[in-house]
Amino acid sequence: MTSATTAVASAKTSTPVDPVFRQIRDLVYKLCGIFQLEEKLYLMADACARRMKALEVRTSREYWDLLTANSSREAEMRQLLNEVTIGETCLFRSPPQLEALRKVILPELVEDKSKQVVKRLRIWSAGCSTGEESYTLAMTILEESSRLLKGWTVEILATDLNDRSVEAAKAGIYGDYALRATSDYFKRKYFSQFDEKKMEVRPEVKKLITFSRLNLQDDSRMLFMKGMDLILCCNVLIYFDGPSKAKVVNHYYSNLNFGGYFLLGTSESLLNLNDKFHLVHFPGAIAYWKPSLKSGKL
Amino acid sequence: MTASIAETIRERVASIETTPSIPTVFLPLLKLLNLPPERVKLNEVVKLVAYDNTIAAQCLRVASSPLFGLAKSPETIRAAVITLGLRRVETILLTCCLGSAFPAGNWALDPTVFWMHSLGCAMVCRKFSEKLADGEGDRAYMAGLLHDIGFMVNCISFPREFTAAAAKASQMQIPFAEAERATMGFAHCDSGKALAEKWHIADDIIQVIAHHHAPEQSETSQPLIALVHLSDLLCRMRGMGYGYYERRKVDLVADPAWSILLKEHRDLAKVDLALFSFEMDEAVDEVAKLVSTIFGAKASSASG
Repeated sequence: MTSATTAVASAKTSTPVDPVFRQIRDLVYKLCGIFQLEEKLYLMADACARRMKALEVRTSREYWDLLTANSSREAEMRQLLNEVTIGETCLFRSPPQLEALRKVILPELVEDKSKQVVKRLRIWSAGCSTGEESYTLAMTILEESSRLLKGWTVEILATDLNDRSVEAAKAGIYGDYALRATSDYFKRKYFSQFDEKKMEVRPEVKKLITFSRLNLQDDSRMLFMKGMDLILCCNVLIYFDGPSKAKVVNHYYSNLNFGGYFLLGTSESLLNLNDKFHLVHFPGAIAYWKPSLKSGKL
Repeated sequence: MTASIAETIRERVASIETTPSIPTVFLPLLKLLNLPPERVKLNEVVKLVAYDNTIAAQCLRVASSPLFGLAKSPETIRAAVITLGLRRVETILLTCCLGSAFPAGNWALDPTVFWMHSLGCAMVCRKFSEKLADGEGDRAYMAGLLHDIGFMVNCISFPREFTAAAAKASQMQIPFAEAERATMGFAHCDSGKALAEKWHIADDIIQVIAHHHAPEQSETSQPLIALVHLSDLLCRMRGMGYGYYERRKVDLVADPAWSILLKEHRDLAKVDLALFSFEMDEAVDEVAKLVSTIFGAKASSASG
């Protein structure tokens, strides 16, 4: 067992990580579908240590008890997830996922729909938070607008439950931390200097996206989000309990066109909540696919 | 593949057999690897390792590496073998022997990338086998390690043609076997099979080498071939491919190999594929370290 004060220090040295944190990592995956690599287990230990300090819990075993006791487990798991995913958001967060999108998914969607009269793609960033993922998508689409997507209309809908997040997303103003993975090429092309420390997304990128507030658990609103070709929902479902998550995922399945894709965070899984989606692999990334009618894989 | 191509492969593979660089321990080693683990004796392994200076040095080097975190490096071959465990010793022996048989001087393929993929695939095969609880982990490991042996044949015996195939594969971002067939009229599966037959490798492993891209085409050993096929695809999708981006979507559950394996192992349906993929990411570093220690080269993960 490890005390809160030593958890981080021991994790960042070569000392083996307390096995209780590995147990907590496995519990988080089992309940929420988000996985922490062994080499990044110290991040889990770090997050637990912060929670242990806040709760004045002395040992990892006591903290494990809190995460598994009937009375406290749901609330504490939510708090822990906040700690685990804190600071994760940035633009261009997952290069393999973006590469899969650019090199395989978009070309496939375009080919599938090329015989349709209206050449249009609909993309939904569900749980868009402060807009980093949505703008990354928009810039990727703009890069393809003179090549693969020439003559196509691409509509990006971005929704979040939190009004303040939606407002921040609309503003599109980001500091160094959010832009840490954005190349100079993209900064020069799609951003302008907002002030000394921050940059603002250019209007031509903003106009590609419609931001709005949406509660993913609002069944009636979810029914209207039809006709999507691609849905992205990163690190959002982890906060839902099993039945709510299954319901939202079923909505996503219905919202997608046949042949459409559903993308989660890089280390996130659907935990077999929906057996109609096919889990498919791309180099370095996974996605869930709603088989196309012609594929014969429904 | 035409009859004349098959004849060319046989002729060129025959010349590999006469190469003087195959260590003497290689054939006894293959025999040892075909035994069930409980029949492998520690003394026999130590004897095999000690027979060849290069291999003995490699075993001592790996056993002393940070992978094992020992305070004091093992000083004897016996101690090194005990530290490494039989499985790792087998891997080192086999990779060293094959490494000697096919000197890496003029490979069209980066040998580090090749070994990353082969050792990675071997490990994934074993993990997959453990998930299915089929008790065939060691066999699966061996099959994974040798499945692409045909690449070595192509590097050595068909250097010009294979260089063109490698260039086509990476430029067009297509599967290697597809590029080989388009440029050479055959793939590593065909040349690997010819070599494996010459070396009298066990029949189920020959079937894996010959059919790992189309398990349904084999008349025997289909479950083992299917397991290697799926592990191979997973490796290529999770950072242990051939060093280039394969522009493709892989749907393992829709693959004929999945159905073959499912008929044998109903538990396959319960495997959480997403979790399996995440766990594989953890293995990439370990495999890179192993390759780097065995070959003394800087091994980095090979995307694609």
